[in-house]
Amino acid sequence: MAYLELDKVGYTYPNGYQALREVSLSCELGEAVAIIGRNGAGKTTMVKLMNGLLKPTHGRVMVDGTSTDQEDAAHVAAKVGYVFQNPDDQIFQDSIRREIAYGLVKKHVARDRIGGRVAWAAEVCGLGDSLDSHPYDLPFSQRKFVTIASALVMDPQVLILDEPTAGQDRAATDLLAGIIQQVTAMGKTVITISHDMEFVTRHFQRGIVMADRQILMDGPIARIFRDDDLLEQAHLARPYLAQLAQAWGFHDVLTSEDFMAALPQTSLLTNQ
Amino acid sequence: MTGFIDRLYPSSKAALVLLAIIVGIFTPGYILQYAMFPVFLLLAIMAGNGMRFFKGFLSSVGTVVLVIFLVQVFIVRYPDSAHIWAFIALSPTGLDKSLGITSRIVSSASAIMWYFQVTTPKDMVYAMEQAHLPKKVTFVIMSTIGMVPQVINRSRTIMDAQKSRGIETEGNAWARVKSFVPMLGPLIFSLIQQTEEHALALQSRAFLAPVPKTSLYRLDKHTIDRVIQVICLLLLILFVVWRVWK
Amino acid sequence: MSVISLEHVGYRYPLGREDAVHDVSFQVEQGQVCALLGANGSGKTTICNLIRGFIPRFYRGEPTGQVQLAGRPVEQYDDAELTETVGYSFQNPFTQMSGVKDNVREEIAYALENLGVEREAMAARVDAMIDLLHLDDIADANPLELSGGQRQRVAIAAVLVTDPPIVVLDEPTSQLDPQSTEDVFNIIALLKRQGKTVILVEHKIDLVARYSDLVILMEGGRVAMSGPARRVLTDPQVLDHGGQLPEVTRFFLERNKKLGLNDPVPLSVEDAIKRYGRKGA
Repeated sequence: MAYLELDKVGYTYPNGYQALREVSLSCELGEAVAIIGRNGAGKTTMVKLMNGLLKPTHGRVMVDGTSTDQEDAAHVAAKVGYVFQNPDDQIFQDSIRREIAYGLVKKHVARDRIGGRVAWAAEVCGLGDSLDSHPYDLPFSQRKFVTIASALVMDPQVLILDEPTAGQDRAATDLLAGIIQQVTAMGKTVITISHDMEFVTRHFQRGIVMADRQILMDGPIARIFRDDDLLEQAHLARPYLAQLAQAWGFHDVLTSEDFMAALPQTSLLTNQ
Repeated sequence: MTGFIDRLYPSSKAALVLLAIIVGIFTPGYILQYAMFPVFLLLAIMAGNGMRFFKGFLSSVGTVVLVIFLVQVFIVRYPDSAHIWAFIALSPTGLDKSLGITSRIVSSASAIMWYFQVTTPKDMVYAMEQAHLPKKVTFVIMSTIGMVPQVINRSRTIMDAQKSRGIETEGNAWARVKSFVPMLGPLIFSLIQQTEEHALALQSRAFLAPVPKTSLYRLDKHTIDRVIQVICLLLLILFVVWRVWK
Repeated sequence: MSVISLEHVGYRYPLGREDAVHDVSFQVEQGQVCALLGANGSGKTTICNLIRGFIPRFYRGEPTGQVQLAGRPVEQYDDAELTETVGYSFQNPFTQMSGVKDNVREEIAYALENLGVEREAMAARVDAMIDLLHLDDIADANPLELSGGQRQRVAIAAVLVTDPPIVVLDEPTSQLDPQSTEDVFNIIALLKRQGKTVILVEHKIDLVARYSDLVILMEGGRVAMSGPARRVLTDPQVLDHGGQLPEVTRFFLERNKKLGLNDPVPLSVEDAIKRYGRKGA
């Protein structure tokens, strides 16, 4: 059995709104998975079900062999960390160091071990130099990294990031890519919701396409971006370079490396 | 019928309420006062709000009235208190007094509760704007009312965010209290921080423009409103004359 | 005469340890879309605040240099004039709703109400905004119950409804999915056609390249590069100043370098097709 399994999971809010119809998927440890789809497709609802914030109204969510129904949210969250879309919903300590350490302190981890783990998480998230600053001294988009570090420091097996690329500049996007790489290299799973298609194609192999509150496709990113009908149905577009490649008849090109190899190695003007 | 009370202008309903409160407080005895409760219940039912009014009344005013009644009748000592058991005694004076106090609470509270249940904040503020109250005053009232659901929503989100860091927010009372503390920080901070951007956002939407405000929303004053307001005024004058001449 | 003109503008926030912007000069002509680019914290929002006059009206402190709108120093404008001249949509969609309206229609009308516009005229303008931003399905919803993306669109409508000649959009698409992002850029193109001047803070560089005339790249509070989008966004130096290049542009720059070529560097997919033809290779 995979570490994380959703078996015919659906969720209807108490007010009767069905936010997720019926989805099934499984994730092994060490995977990087991107969830893509337009706003309102059910992405956030699905990941909240994975970390126990929501309990399925039908079907089962299994984390490490236990159904999330049978544990409280805090226990599930220890295994599946979830970083909210809005960092200001989470941050409440007056220094970044304390903010990151908070969860460990609450779990009564030995003091001498906390320091090292906080330093490590801060380093991974590019906060090594600002540990003693106030979190709100950082611009909004950088505060996101404080919350990622706070989740990472708890050592969950699965880390879920909800739209971490929103409003990020280039340096921050590169940093995010580095975090995902490091965390998966440690044998953990990273699940990321993102609207940035270039980011998705560069850093993920597996993608889950959602539309209208269900999964349309779960498979290799390369296959997703080759499927015109799927992209249209999910209101998604290829990364720009892939759009150009497509227009020029290179249907399997997704990244700049692919494109570079596919094009002739001489000037394109002389070729006309 | 349901729409009739909804369509009344806020000031007409306010006139009714004011009359009821004044008459209730200054009329001797307690029967009229207690009788106002069924009257307003009926008015609430007419507005399609009967059950909400009844439940709301019982759970808030009902409890208070009961407590005052019991304390006055059985516990507070008067010269005519007759001892019953331990600290409990029965006093006719206490009974009389408590009927006087509680009946007035009942009449005033029924009137006020009814008003707020059958008049939306939006209508109230609209009426205030039409009466040329300063924009800032009506804004403060409206945004204060609007803040309550916002704060509730936000605390839910923050609570979830804490949970997903593995912080216990469920379980016994102590666990819930402990989980409440980390919530206060982001809640207060985000409210303060939002105020700044919010103030700018309002300014860029002409909040400070020195012209009388208009409104897309519309609520008309009908003939019935004038009739009600005039009747209320006449009744009030008659009542005052009666009380002074008596 | 330039619609927006900044001459040697500097400013430090009251509690700031260093200047938020320093010696910034640029001009924007009527009908231009000017993109403010740069890493977070490089001074883009501060410039927006200076143009809207929030500095020094709201944020205290003394700006140096001069900010002019239509040839008149911004400090000579009064509050009402500024509202009518500069429409401003903020970065965070959650703080932008008035908090006093219980449906989107009235939320959009709010600025008009404050300006004392008559009801019939107001209704017509609100309806036009609802059409423009495709808000029909949420027109009666409570603004405070909408998602970030939906709120962002309502916020833009609420700003455009007063029909200001200058529109400042501070990261209008950061909460939006690709489809809604395209919608916003289509509106920017429409504003441009209507002759409005647009200041746009935006990280989605591929769309910036397609829709803007002028770009100002900020770095550490200073203007690092500025000029026509075509010139700046095909210059690899952008990367040295914390900026980004469009995907297609980056690709052609890399390719030229790798193969020692001097092929034209396009800005976007459309541009590449224009330059190299439908078939390309």
